[in-house]
Parts: sequence; structure tokens; C-alpha cells
Amino acid sequence: MNASRFRSWPITIKVPLAVVALMILVGLVLSERVLARLTETQQRHLVELSQSYLDGLSSAIAPSILREDNWEVYDAIARAQEINKSLHPIETVVTNSEGAVIAASDPKRHPIGTSFSPNDISKTKAFSYSAGADTANAMRTLSYPGRVAGIIYTTFDTRHLAAERRDVLMALALTNGALTILLAAAGWLLVTHMMRPVRILSEHLGVARETLAVPVPDEIVAKTTGEFGHLFRGYNGLVRSMKEREDLSKRLAEEERLGSLGRLASAVAHEINNPLGGLFNALSTMKTHGHLAGVRSSSLGLLERGLVGIRDVVRTTLAVYRRDSGSRNLVPADIDDLGMLVAPEGRRKYVTIQIDNRLDGPIAVASTPIRQALLNLLLNAVAAAPEGSQVNATVSAGTAALEIVVSDYGGGMPESASAVLTAGYGPPPLDGGGLGLWTTSRLVAEMGGRIEIERLRPSGTTIRLIIPILRAELSDVA
Amino acid sequence: MASGGNKELHRRAFLGAAAALLAPALSDAAENTGIVPIRFGLTPVFLTSDLELLGRLQSYLQRSTGSPVTLVNRRTYQEITALLTSGQLDAAWICGFPFVAHRSELQLVAVPLWHRKPLYQSYLIVERDRRASDLDDLRGDIHAFSDPDSNSGFLVTRAALAQRNLRPETFFAKTFFTYGHRDVIRAVASGLAGSGSVDGYVYDVVSELEPELTSRTRILKASEWLAFPPIAAPRTIADPSRFEAVKRAFLQMNDDPEGRAVLQMLRLDGFASEDPNIFDTIAAKAALVAAAG
Repeated sequence: MNASRFRSWPITIKVPLAVVALMILVGLVLSERVLARLTETQQRHLVELSQSYLDGLSSAIAPSILREDNWEVYDAIARAQEINKSLHPIETVVTNSEGAVIAASDPKRHPIGTSFSPNDISKTKAFSYSAGADTANAMRTLSYPGRVAGIIYTTFDTRHLAAERRDVLMALALTNGALTILLAAAGWLLVTHMMRPVRILSEHLGVARETLAVPVPDEIVAKTTGEFGHLFRGYNGLVRSMKEREDLSKRLAEEERLGSLGRLASAVAHEINNPLGGLFNALSTMKTHGHLAGVRSSSLGLLERGLVGIRDVVRTTLAVYRRDSGSRNLVPADIDDLGMLVAPEGRRKYVTIQIDNRLDGPIAVASTPIRQALLNLLLNAVAAAPEGSQVNATVSAGTAALEIVVSDYGGGMPESASAVLTAGYGPPPLDGGGLGLWTTSRLVAEMGGRIEIERLRPSGTTIRLIIPILRAELSDVA
Repeated sequence: MASGGNKELHRRAFLGAAAALLAPALSDAAENTGIVPIRFGLTPVFLTSDLELLGRLQSYLQRSTGSPVTLVNRRTYQEITALLTSGQLDAAWICGFPFVAHRSELQLVAVPLWHRKPLYQSYLIVERDRRASDLDDLRGDIHAFSDPDSNSGFLVTRAALAQRNLRPETFFAKTFFTYGHRDVIRAVASGLAGSGSVDGYVYDVVSELEPELTSRTRILKASEWLAFPPIAAPRTIADPSRFEAVKRAFLQMNDDPEGRAVLQMLRLDGFASEDPNIFDTIAAKAALVAAAG
């Protein structure tokens, strides 16, 4: 497996695995040390015992070896083997200096007089034993000043030592194995327990990525203490503040809508009030001179035109501010209505509003946000335009996008206002000003469009909205 | 050596220790009262390592003779024979060969009865699975003898070879002495020696006590019946009453419970007064060997 795959494993697997690896390492090192120590001890004991065996045997056979007294040497070997049973001597061979057997513990294997040469090179050392081996060898040369009298070769059975070594190894392996499994399980439990708050947090954050962030339930927070308790409370605080901010944004947007409605309401009232005087005059004329056919018909015409004007104003207002107005597609009349809506505000400020409506049929964009956005821009432009100047608006449709351009000759849009307008889903302005621009920015962003701002020379601003037109099939669905 | 179980070893060790403590005490008492203890020599003719037997024998002899008794053990026949002929022992259990060799210096005290006869045989033994049927098949062997002064453990085989105009050192590849009949059996059983010359009486008793030892050997050839190793005394004695007391003690051993216990341990029927002529066959063998040089 490669390292990057390991890194991507959950920590609940990685920690127990690390524990296992560490324990195996510790177990190996410990076992090696214990076995090395055991081997050392076994070997030291074996050396001591074998030396004492050889010492005893040497002193017993020394006189006999010079006489080559086969029986006495054999008897001494037999007695030594009997006495040193704990040492497990398997075989002892005594030869003279020429290597001819004087006597052996098993005379049938090594008859008297046959030549004995150790087939194993290790047998020619004073002592040799390798850990775990079944036998150990010891050799002793009996020498008198000037000459070698004889040599004793002994082989000891060390299977009990090998068995002891195996037992120790087995015990070590079992203990280490059990400990490793135990600690790995403990590690897994511990890490799983410790990682629970992280998992909860990560799940909540995962939810937040897709929808609105959800706070961690209070009962879980109450049960969690320490760093994770702080973390949960901090996270919940963050979620709350995010929600408050979201709510505030919604409220601000609503207030802005209502605010602009308020501003318009006086304009609308003024618009309705203007013809009312004429209408009442017409009514009065009707009352006084109603019997005159000419006067009557002209008064009725006046009444009708006045009422139609009022109706148009009311209709337009309704169309703009009616909730859930559906997602009707934009039609040329929507733009004309806007002209009518902002005209009173223009007149109030002595600003001419020139709207160039180049649409010749319905366009596959939602009418309501377009109208609201354009209304906001027009009102903003009128507010910015100096008296006696002109505000121009052009609405045109290409094959892919609807383009709306609004220009004024005011002092130019401040940087902060430009930033709010082009921020898309940005936060609402902190000082509460420029909410109209912020709302426009959101509306355009929701429609997938974009806003470009251009400063004019010597002064003025051109704002360009580009709204993509929905494909035919999608507009049907919408 | 390794005969018997642990229990028996302990029992023997205890009795041995008791005997060892007792003997000097008695000797001291004898010296203090002016009585010289009877010195009785024992060759390794038989189970001299059996301390219980030695203790009971000493106890019986002391009670029977009324004198303190010192048992003298030596490793070889030769040492005991030398002590006996030089008058340092009052009596000794020796072999027929030294008896005939020192006939002029020794007199018979008693001869043991085995199977109611004062006779025994010498066995030529080999390893159990050895394919051999006669002495002639043993040429080139490593041969175990018991003792150079033993009749059954040396002289009989030596004489048999002399009859064939052969000598042990040329007929056999190698020979050695174990200075004990039981050790001859051990040497052959272990394979250290290919064959051995052993006392037939000892072999039979060992096969009864330690069948696992003798079962690894078999008797290749038994000799003719020969006079049993006797109890002998120096021919010239200072105090005839001591000689008589010792002789009586042996001849009447069967009448005493402790004596019978000793005999039972020795697997003997008793002791008898025999004519020294029964040793003539042994003397003839000795002469044959001497003539061969």
C-alpha cells in the first residue's frame, strides 16, 4: 500500500495500527533481549556445569589414563554420568594423545583402540554451544608437563534448555500478542470516543455545506466538556450569528422594498391626485350643464381619461409590488409601466427620464426581478442626477442576454456603492445605506446575470445589467 | 554400584555408618583390655561393596568368637594374600589360585558350600547377541579379566589358552583387569569388552539380584567344577584358640540366626571342612600356566 493511501485512512484505524506496529516493535526488541539474556544465562550455567563435570572426571581418570586402564576410565565415566545426571551428559569419549579411544560412555559406538576424531569442528573447542541447539560439546586436554596424556570429549544433551527457550519464546509471543490486541482494542475505543465530537462537528459542517448550518443539539453540547465543549459552543455561536445575519439580510431586503414603496406611494398619490381635480371639475360641469349633450360627452371623455390614467397607475403599482407575482416572462409593457412609475419622481426633481424600450415581444427572463432591479436603478439615477439633466435608459435583447443600460450625469457613483452593486451575494451594507443597490445586486445574481459600472467624463455613471436569457425548454418549465 | 533402589542404598549407608562407628569402638575397647582383635581379610571375591553384609558378618563373627573382629578390605587379591601370608591377618576369604600358589604357607579354615557342594565354575561370558560358540571364536577380542590372582576370573581362561599353546596377550587384542567379578559383567554388558572371564557363582547371584545387567550377556562356556574360594589362615599361628574360634564360627554359621542371614545374603548353604586336595585341579591349571611361561 502506498503512503498517501495510509494517510487517507480514518484516525480510528491509524491509531490502533500504530499501536500494533509499536507493540510489535517493542515485543520484538523485548523478546530479543529476554532470549539473549536467557541464552547467556543458560550458556554460563552450562559452561560452569560442564567444567565441573570435566574437573571431576579429569581428576578421577588422570592416573588411569597414563596406565591406559580401560576399565578404570570406563568406570569413572560411568560414575560421572550417574552423578551428573542433571547435566545430561550424552556421550563422553576419552582418548590418548594419539586419538585412540581408551574408553567411552558407549563402548559399542567407540570401541577401545579405535581412533576417534571429532567429526564436528565445534567439538575441538573447549566449549561450544549454540542457542537452541540440542547438544553442547566440551573438550578437555589432560596434559602433564611436557606431554599430552589424553583428551576428554563430552557431549551434553541440551534439549531441555532448547525446550525452556521455546517455552519462554512461546510465553513472550502469547503475552505480547495478547497485549498488542488488548492495547489496539483500547486504542481503537479511546480514539473512537475521543473523535466522536469531531465526527459530530464534521457531520454538522457537512450539512452546512449543502444547506444552512445547523447547531449541535443542546443535549450533546451539555454532555461534552473540555476543549470539545468549547468548540461546540463556539460553533453554535457561529451558526446563530450566521442565522441572525441571514434573517437581518432578509428583513433589510423587505424593508428596502417597503421603503421604495413608501417613496413611490407619495408619487402615486400625487399622480392620482393630479387628475382628481379635473375629474371633480368634470363632475361639477356634468351636474350643472349635464343636459347639454356637447358638455356631457366632453365631461364624460374627461372623466374616462382621468380614470384610465388612475387605473393604469394603480395597475402598475400592483404589478410591481404584488407578492408572488409568479415568474411571468418579461414583456415590453413592463418597461413602459416603469417609465410611468418613475415619471412623477422625475418631474418632482425636474429630471427628464428617457426610456428607450427596444423590446418587441416577450423575453424569457422573469419579469418581477427585472422590473424591481430597473426601478431601483432608475430611482437611484434620478436621485443622483442634477436638476434639469436627463436620465437615459435602454432595454434591448440579444439572442443570449437581455441588456439594460442606465446612465445619469450625476457626480458619479461612490466606490462603496459600486462595491455593493457588484458584490453579488455579498453582505448588506453595514451603515444601512445603499440597500436599493444591494437588493439589485442580489436580484441580478439570482438571475445569473452580472453588473458593469462605467464612470462617464466629465461626470456621470453608466450601469449595465446583462441578464442571460433562459433557453426555451427551461422557460417552459419555469 | 548402581544396584538396588534408593531405599536399599539408604539402608546400606546407615548400616555401613553404624559398622564403621562400631568397629573402631570395639577395637579401642580391645586395645584397652589387652585383647587383640581378630583380623579377617576379604577379597573382592564377591559383593564386598555390600556394607550391610559386611556389618552382619562382622557382628556374627564377633559374637561367635567372643573377640572383636576387624574386617580388612583391599582392592586386589594380591594385597590380601600378602597380608595373610605375612601373618598380618588371622584369616581371609581368598581365591583358590592364591591358595594353591601359597599352599606351603597357608592352611584351610573352611570351604563355602554352594548348592550343597564346595564347588563352583568359571564362566566365559560374551555379549548376548554375539555369534560365538567357543573360546577359539574370541580371537582378537578385548577381554576383561577379574584379577590376575583369581582362579575363575583369570587362571581358568589363561590355562585354556595355554592348552592351545596360546597366550592372552597375543590371542586377545587387548586385556584388562576390573578387580571385581561384577565389573567383568558390567564391562561385557556395556560392550567395553567383547568377552570376559568371571566367577560362575558371582554371575549366578548377580543374575538373580540384577537380572537387567546379566541379561545383556550370555555364558559362552562354563568350566569344569572347581573348588570354591576358601577361607584360609596362615600355616603358622601364634594362638591356636583364635584359629579354632574362627573355624568354628564359620562351620557353625548355619546354626545361628544371624549367621543364616549372612549365608542367605551370600546365597550359600554354609561352610564345611574339606580336604585341601579338592584344590588339585586348580593347582594343575596353575602348573600348566607356569610351564607355558
